Amino acid sequence: MIEDEVLKWKFKAGSQEALRRIYEKYLNRLLSFAMALLDDAGAAEDVVHDVFVSFAESAETFKLRGNLRSYLTTCVLNRARDTMRANQRRPVRLDASESIVSDKERPDQAILYSERAQRLNRAIAQLPDEQRLVIVLRLKADMKFREIAKLLNVSINTIQGRYRYGLDKVRSVLNGEVEK
Amino acid sequence: MKPSENLEDTIKNELNFTAGADLHDRMLDDVLNAQDKSRKAHSAAAWPNLRRQIMKSPITKLAAAVVIILAIVLSINVLDKTTPAAYALGQTVEANHTVHSLRITDFRTGEDEPKEFWLQFDEQGQIESVRASMPEWNSPSDGAKIVIWQDGKAQVWFKRKNSLLTVREQRLAEQMLGLARQVDPRPTMERLYEQEQQGKVKVEIDEPSDKAEPIAVTATYEPEGSRPGRLVVLLVDQATKLVTAMEVFQLKDDEYQQVGRTEFHDYNQAIDPRVFALEDEIPADAMRVDQTTQEVGLAQGDLSDEEVAVEVARQFFTALIAEDYAAAGQLFEGIPADKMREMFGSIKVLRIISIGPAGPHPNPETKGLVVPCTVEGGQRGDGQIGEWKLDRLGVRQVYNQPGRWTIFGGI
Repeated sequence: MIEDEVLKWKFKAGSQEALRRIYEKYLNRLLSFAMALLDDAGAAEDVVHDVFVSFAESAETFKLRGNLRSYLTTCVLNRARDTMRANQRRPVRLDASESIVSDKERPDQAILYSERAQRLNRAIAQLPDEQRLVIVLRLKADMKFREIAKLLNVSINTIQGRYRYGLDKVRSVLNGEVEK
Repeated sequence: MKPSENLEDTIKNELNFTAGADLHDRMLDDVLNAQDKSRKAHSAAAWPNLRRQIMKSPITKLAAAVVIILAIVLSINVLDKTTPAAYALGQTVEANHTVHSLRITDFRTGEDEPKEFWLQFDEQGQIESVRASMPEWNSPSDGAKIVIWQDGKAQVWFKRKNSLLTVREQRLAEQMLGLARQVDPRPTMERLYEQEQQGKVKVEIDEPSDKAEPIAVTATYEPEGSRPGRLVVLLVDQATKLVTAMEVFQLKDDEYQQVGRTEFHDYNQAIDPRVFALEDEIPADAMRVDQTTQEVGLAQGDLSDEEVAVEVARQFFTALIAEDYAAAGQLFEGIPADKMREMFGSIKVLRIISIGPAGPHPNPETKGLVVPCTVEGGQRGDGQIGEWKLDRLGVRQVYNQPGRWTIFGGI
């Protein structure tokens, strides 16, 4: 969007106001994306924090070309994948990370979310990494299948297959919860 | 999950996480601090020599010395009003006539980085060449910049914006020379000397017997004078009678508080001509706008100021719609077409929704007008269209091209 182009330009010129606007505009989107990938509030917070801090430090070298939203999303994705690799295990499950549970008495704390979002995230977290990644990139980063295929360096058919199987499994998990 | 629900839409729309106020503010603080530190670090990296010089310079010692000298001066005058002083301000005024070049560092209390000036005078003593390095604190919106004034032409190197502006304009010349005169020790000493003669300033002098020690001159402005509550301490070299440092204090709450400190270096040492030439310092990819050779903006013709301002904005967006970056750049301070393409190439402006009327610019110093505009456009390849409202688009007369108007900011 044109606003982003102006923000990038102003940011490169050192505008604090532009950086603040970029932060306000993308913080929750990136948090949601990181949470869907990592299913760990502490890790998601760290990833988004580090991405914004690196971005803030990059004004002098930041290139004006490209889409700002895609750029920030890719930064979060790369760091989230690093985190996932570093953990060498499945991300911490939502039900195991009490610290992120929004405290209704303290709505100013940490990351807030609805019960519905919590259930969805828990279901997605049960997918294998490769399926989860495709679903999150497609639905939370608005990426096209061909873009995801290129990013992950696999064929578009494989990506579409992972997406279908992933959605089926999420649906199944959610239906299973209802049946219980 | 209900069978009728679309899972994709549900994930898209309902899998949302929001930062709580505490997390939001904490992270934002870190982000803004990182930007601030990065800016300072880059600024410092660009001035390694200066910083080294500052670190080596015994400013704190000198400041302490001034305080001690001041105390000595005051006590000497209290104890012995008859102490004779061979030195007089007139000697420095006289010695200043021999000065044809110097370097000046001008510190503001509370700021680490000084302004730095190189001044070169012609045979008549008129300012011939100036180089001014202005730190970011002096103008946060511009950022750190270097200004060169020579041969009636000013070059301004905006480091953060990676752009070089060259202009030849009387108002800018006056500003530039005014800036140089503020730190030029010659008129400062002449004014002080005159005010001493007129009784507007009380001057006390301490001339140490050790000739290696500087003479300390304390000038206290009388309450009914032009600068009540002002106290100036000058350190004067005993051999040359030239001022080496000046500290300015202001009386506040019955105490003299330091306002700033100016140091004068390298009197009459030949200045390398490269000091007054920016080309070697500027990156190859810097944007260069030379308003001395290039016609900028739109001719006013019979239009009123408000009308021409709106017309400039209209033609600017019309050029962007047509992707005519050369025409758009000419209306925007003369920015080159390739730079305009870099700035605006990834967006597509589709149409002007509304434009004008022009009104006064909120910053009167710009001497410009604001033209509110709304245009429709989007990111190339994105497919999404949106409205872009601009309420600070500024248009003003081109500095050195009377009758021509240009956009100067707010986009």
